[in-house]
Amino acid sequence: MRAWPILVLALAFSIVIAACAGHDWATPADLLRAIAGAAADLRSRLLVEWRIPRVLAAALVGALLGLGGTVFQGVFRNPLAEPYLLGSAGGAALGATVALLVPLAAPQSFILPVLAFAGAWGATMLVIGISRVSGAVDAAGMLLAGVAVAAILGALRSFLMLALSDETVSLQIVLSWVLGGVQTPSWPVLGLLAVISAACLALTMRLAGRLDLLGLGETMAIAFGLNVNRFVALAVLAGSVVVAAAVAFGGLVAFVGLASPHIARWLVGPLHRPLLPASALVGAIVVTLADAIARAALPPAEIPLGLVTAVAGGPFFILLLARRLRT
Amino acid sequence: MPRAPLWAILALAVALQPAAAAPVTVHDAFDRNVTVPAPPQRIVAIFASNVEMLAALGLADRIVGIEAFTRYPPEVLGKPLVGGRLGFSVDEVVAQKPDLVVVTPSRQAANQLIDPMERLGIPIVVLLQRNVEEILSNIRLLARLCGVAERGEELVARLQARLDRVEQRVAGLKPPSVVMITGRLGNGLLLVTRPGTYTGDAIVRAGGRLAFDGGVIAQVSPEAVFNSDPDLLLFAGPEKDMKELIDRPGWSDMRAVKARRAHAVSRVELLIPGPRTIDGIEHLAAIFHPATPSQ
Repeated sequence: MRAWPILVLALAFSIVIAACAGHDWATPADLLRAIAGAAADLRSRLLVEWRIPRVLAAALVGALLGLGGTVFQGVFRNPLAEPYLLGSAGGAALGATVALLVPLAAPQSFILPVLAFAGAWGATMLVIGISRVSGAVDAAGMLLAGVAVAAILGALRSFLMLALSDETVSLQIVLSWVLGGVQTPSWPVLGLLAVISAACLALTMRLAGRLDLLGLGETMAIAFGLNVNRFVALAVLAGSVVVAAAVAFGGLVAFVGLASPHIARWLVGPLHRPLLPASALVGAIVVTLADAIARAALPPAEIPLGLVTAVAGGPFFILLLARRLRT
Repeated sequence: MPRAPLWAILALAVALQPAAAAPVTVHDAFDRNVTVPAPPQRIVAIFASNVEMLAALGLADRIVGIEAFTRYPPEVLGKPLVGGRLGFSVDEVVAQKPDLVVVTPSRQAANQLIDPMERLGIPIVVLLQRNVEEILSNIRLLARLCGVAERGEELVARLQARLDRVEQRVAGLKPPSVVMITGRLGNGLLLVTRPGTYTGDAIVRAGGRLAFDGGVIAQVSPEAVFNSDPDLLLFAGPEKDMKELIDRPGWSDMRAVKARRAHAVSRVELLIPGPRTIDGIEHLAAIFHPATPSQ
């Protein structure tokens, strides 16, 4: 498997590049000095306290999106499935809108990820609940319920945005969150995110064998003794936790959850046991690089991350797809 | 070298050192205590209002960073930009090596900058301006923080005296009801000044009364403006934009428009909460009560 060393090296390389990138470019030597604590100047503190945690958070968010996308594409056996399919994007955006626009007692750096997570997870739970109540517990029923819930949540969010914005609290802050952007966590919070990501990897890896079975088709899966409806609900729940965690720390980052599993599949094949970690690595690489571009391309502004992933990742993905189809 | 003169020099140096060289702590709008070890010499001032207040205190030369929508005063233009429409750059703020950052919680500035600045140990102060009184107290706070407390008191006293003169002039006069349009949205809705804002306060201090006095949301339909039937229609922006608006069908039937009491007013005076807001209040008072002497 020569793909693995390449992926790991590419990720390490991306992280170093991204940590150097900014309006004010650092050299790898600067990074080492800052990490070693040799230099106590403001710039080194900026690198250690701000830029490096942000880069690592971007990598973890990307990894979570890669995992989430793989699970959803596996469950729905549809190459167009993406992690935000079952209302999680709408729910997260609603939660984030409340956090951004409603003056709440808790600090925003805490309440924003919590409400985004609750929204994403809650929306998916609602979708599963609706499809259960209506008896349509199969994948198609869930997709339809997801579309309906997403429409309702989107309308609620738009109403909140109109009702709560004014000259000082502008719609722009909601818009820029919806377009994605990695929060910069403190080191302890970054540790928490790392633990969550590892737990998500372990959780999804437990689904790998059954996702492969499901990939053979529902009839085959049932013949192999898989309770398909039960497993689909379980896998969707697991996938939505992964996605909600990604959304809480990274906003709505377009395209990564869709593209990473495909790129990973070309590298390691369709079996989920290698596919899940490979897709996580691909997602991590893509988001790390995209976040670096977002921070460094148009100083002093920062481009919303989701725009970079879509604009830069889209053509790249099309190119890969075209080459793949030709061979 | 004899000792006594050295002591004398030291004592003299201590005596001449302004009292503000000691650490100063202020309480900001986000309920935070902000301490500067010495009067800041490198200030990143985000938003026009904060720049204007510092400039009015004679501190424009200490400003080392502004954001892209700051247009006044001329001496700060051309200073490094640390943000704009797409948000604010931590990198760029830090690159100016500031010893004070002044922000207002608009456009995500406070949320994007407080956390990193606190982590890096750069003092950052948040100012709010919900009424004219808060503009004055912000000037005092900045003056104290920057070691020019007396200058701040003098400036505030001058501004207060002008406010008092306006108050005396309009006292006892019947306040006209006013709608002030501050913006137009693509879907035809209008942004209007609401109570609980410094612009609303400015209108009241100038002897006016807001026609929308409830807790309306900022966007209203033109129909709501008609129904509120104000004595006076104000438009924050250029004269020609106002003409373009009131030339639309229906507007000419409005009482304020018929009575030629629709006025374009200065955006920078009434929509930037700084010292120039006092100019805006004087100009509004002249519009609201034209019969009274202007001085």
